[in-house]
Amino acid sequence: MEDAVLSLSKEPLLSIENLRTYFYSRAKRAFVRSVDGASLAVARGETLGVVGESGSGKTVTAHSAAGLVTGSPGVIGGSIRFDSRNLLDGLERYVKVDERDGRVMAVEKDERGWREHAETLMRGVRGKEIAMIFQNPRAALNPYSTVGAQLVETIRLHTGAKGQREARERALHWLERVRIDSPRLRFDNFPFGMSGGMCQRAMIAMALCAEPSLLIADEPTTGLDATIQSRIVDLLARLKAETGITTLLISHDISVIQRLSDRVAVMYGGTVVETGRAADVLAPQAPARHPYTAGLLASIPSAETIRTKSYLQDIEGDVLDTIDVPRGCRFYGRCSRVTEAIRERCANLEPPLGEVAPGRRVRCWLHVKQETPA
Amino acid sequence: MKLSAIKPIGRVLARELAVTALLLLGVSVVVFAILYAAPGDPLDVLLGGQSPRSELALGMREALGVPRTWYGQYAAWFGKMLEGNFGNSIRTGLPVLPELARVGVNTLYLTLGSLLLTLAIALPIAVHAAAHGDTAGNTAATVVAYVLSAVPVFWFGYIVVYVFIHRLGMFPLISGTAGRQPHAWLYFLVPIFVLGTASGTLSEMIRHLREELSRVLAEDYIRTARAKGAAVWRHAFKEGFLIPVTEIMSAKIPFLLGGAVIVEQVFNWPGMGRMAWQAAQDRDYPVIMGIALAAAAFVRLGNLLQRVVFTAVNPRASRE
Amino acid sequence: MTAMRMRRYVQAPGPVGEISELPLLQRAETLDRVYVGYGLLVVALVFASYLLGAFGWLPHDPQAMNVGLINAAPLTPGHPLGTDFLGRDLQSRLILGIQAYFLPGLLAVAISLVGGSVLGILAGYQGGWADTVVTYFDNLLDSFPRLVLILLVIAAFKPDIYYIMVVVGVTGMPVIANLIAGKIAFLRQKSFIEAAHALGLPARTVILKHILWYNCRALLVIQATLGMAEAILVETSLSYLGFGVQEPTPSWGNMVQAGANYFLQGNFWPSTAPALAILATILGFQLLGDGLNNILEGKRRR
Repeated sequence: MEDAVLSLSKEPLLSIENLRTYFYSRAKRAFVRSVDGASLAVARGETLGVVGESGSGKTVTAHSAAGLVTGSPGVIGGSIRFDSRNLLDGLERYVKVDERDGRVMAVEKDERGWREHAETLMRGVRGKEIAMIFQNPRAALNPYSTVGAQLVETIRLHTGAKGQREARERALHWLERVRIDSPRLRFDNFPFGMSGGMCQRAMIAMALCAEPSLLIADEPTTGLDATIQSRIVDLLARLKAETGITTLLISHDISVIQRLSDRVAVMYGGTVVETGRAADVLAPQAPARHPYTAGLLASIPSAETIRTKSYLQDIEGDVLDTIDVPRGCRFYGRCSRVTEAIRERCANLEPPLGEVAPGRRVRCWLHVKQETPA
Repeated sequence: MKLSAIKPIGRVLARELAVTALLLLGVSVVVFAILYAAPGDPLDVLLGGQSPRSELALGMREALGVPRTWYGQYAAWFGKMLEGNFGNSIRTGLPVLPELARVGVNTLYLTLGSLLLTLAIALPIAVHAAAHGDTAGNTAATVVAYVLSAVPVFWFGYIVVYVFIHRLGMFPLISGTAGRQPHAWLYFLVPIFVLGTASGTLSEMIRHLREELSRVLAEDYIRTARAKGAAVWRHAFKEGFLIPVTEIMSAKIPFLLGGAVIVEQVFNWPGMGRMAWQAAQDRDYPVIMGIALAAAAFVRLGNLLQRVVFTAVNPRASRE
Repeated sequence: MTAMRMRRYVQAPGPVGEISELPLLQRAETLDRVYVGYGLLVVALVFASYLLGAFGWLPHDPQAMNVGLINAAPLTPGHPLGTDFLGRDLQSRLILGIQAYFLPGLLAVAISLVGGSVLGILAGYQGGWADTVVTYFDNLLDSFPRLVLILLVIAAFKPDIYYIMVVVGVTGMPVIANLIAGKIAFLRQKSFIEAAHALGLPARTVILKHILWYNCRALLVIQATLGMAEAILVETSLSYLGFGVQEPTPSWGNMVQAGANYFLQGNFWPSTAPALAILATILGFQLLGDGLNNILEGKRRR
């Protein structure tokens, strides 16, 4: 893990396939289809940045991967392969899904049974091999316990540290590594007395001190001041270089994604609409690109737009309400690049995530050929 | 808690103590006001014949410089209490405070025992409901709890007594002779069982505990605990268990004391409650006043303890 | 593998946009509907019985002793609820017993609501010193067990049920004051009060119309039902203890007490009938209050 060389072995460390996580709204008597068939892969040593607006399903995807979804019905389909294990193994036994016209209309799930089963699957994985950091770090730390105590807890749970003294040493070591000021002082501090940036550093230390293979970072900079955000991103970049840890990074902030990711996945409406190398997906000009990505990039200031003094463009329409998911392409209602030739297809048939170049996939009829039935 | 934290905690605790003292002062004012405003002359009894309303000796009193104003009266009365003199019972002539202390212990047992019993019933239901949501099991239990909370405790007492006498052949009514029966200790448990089950606080306890625990389990820091594979209950304990439990216990003490008055009637239990009933019948002011003060003091003590626990557990509270 | 507890979620067919948010009543869970339904039934029965008793339209004279029909079981012809140990018709006595708590209970509730609202508004709206004073006063009132305070008042004054209900009303003020102050804090946090001031609304309008009526009325109704339950409990407990309504005038509490000896000898009904009436009535008011609370104040359930 201390190996600074990026190793790209054949088998991705984390592979999410066709994940479906639904929530049920009693008030509207309908499903909120937060994650509706999302597929991602993170290779060993690489950082995959998942970008999208709120409601795109990126956070729920991350939580599903860590087994933290508590809503009802929750995860109802798909597979999450981590290091050759399927973390959703056996889900089919607990869930029954009724589809009509290719759309899920009823779900039956033994939630308690699945939760217990999932707990046994995740035991030894959570915290030890998969670690997670969250947004709003001050709220994410236990206010009744000192930072040091919380770090020591993780260390004693998941590493071979013997006794309190050794665990404390390790905790202090990690506090120093995340460049927190006065580590010895902070060790005995409670979260309420620390700034957001310091709390986030502490949380990063808590996640990494168990030396996990995968770090899931859920909006690590959201909720922090702008200058602090930048420092945290620097810290993450440095730690990534030092440890070579595989990271699944979730953010709606494209600049954060840009600085830290090797590959990028763009999510919209609960599905992944584009994947590829960061340089390719986020380049100012790109040959084959999803209209949503194009819209996203055009709406944020960049060196290019500043130089040309061009107007920022926003994407027409509202973010997809994942309750009333349309037929066909999810972005159709807001897409400005539809041509007459494919309009009917866009309106009625959802495009697959097709490969438009090696390592590059886009979910758009503009770039993907429809398979003609044999 | 570290050594450096003790001083600020000491400050906070001193403040809690001061608030309690102020409240007890207020309690004494309320009791005094009721006695002062009462027709007849309760204060005369309490002050050993030195109330201004006894017109007979008015002239003599003025000469002797005995207080006539209400605040003078209050001071005199308060002063006597501080000396431990709560007056003598009109009915028995015995000094009130020692009598109170003697029987108060029994009421204490009854009240605390019932409180713990109600808690013991409420907790499993609340925890289960918070952890697993509404299931057939805990919904049924909640409905039963509602019914139990509406049952008149005196009638429930009779049912239990009947069962004990006629089905189990035991005679728990007259506690004086209970000591000579086999299983004498059981008799102490019967009133506790009755009050603990039918005190009327059960459904509220379940609701409070369940709501608080559910709220805490949904907090971000619990999610972090889950994410790092730590034991959730360990993290949820302080805010989701310890604090709500002490809160609800301290809040329900007044209700249980009220229930004790009734239960002591049913079982002829020699406690403060039965004494209070007798005093109300006889208009025995010193006794009833003493009981009111003692009960309020007990409530405030419970509240103080709860505040102490809260301050000890909550890092923010000790650093204001 | 243990038995599975499947939960079923069905999406209603048709475009979701049309359904939007269902009205409160339809969204209410079945259990809450049962609670409220039962509660309303009880309230209606109590009110109707109060009227019957007030006008004296009782099936039998509640004091008439019928030596030939002592301890008749329920459903005896002419006496649907049986008779007590003196042959008196229980149904008539139970109906008449409502007189003992109905109006006094309303008095207690009225005092609690009005007094509590005033205190709550003072504490929440005025803030600062008013808040401290009201909080102190609330804690003071909460220090007394209700029954003990009532016994003190009985000893000092006369055991008149209206005096007692004043005490019940006053001791019920802190709860309401707290809730209202809390609501005001909530509204303040949402800048609601600021906005109202910015619009130039006079304080009286803001308080009466906007805070109390629009935002607190559900809360007040709920506390009214719970307060009534409390008042009934106090009245029945007191008359059980021998204060309040005296024999031969029936009150549910003194009926239970009168039947106590017979109970222990095996004759359950004269004590049990009024006890069940107490149970059913208090339960009704409490369920009504809690059910309404769940529906109106939006308690989140999993």
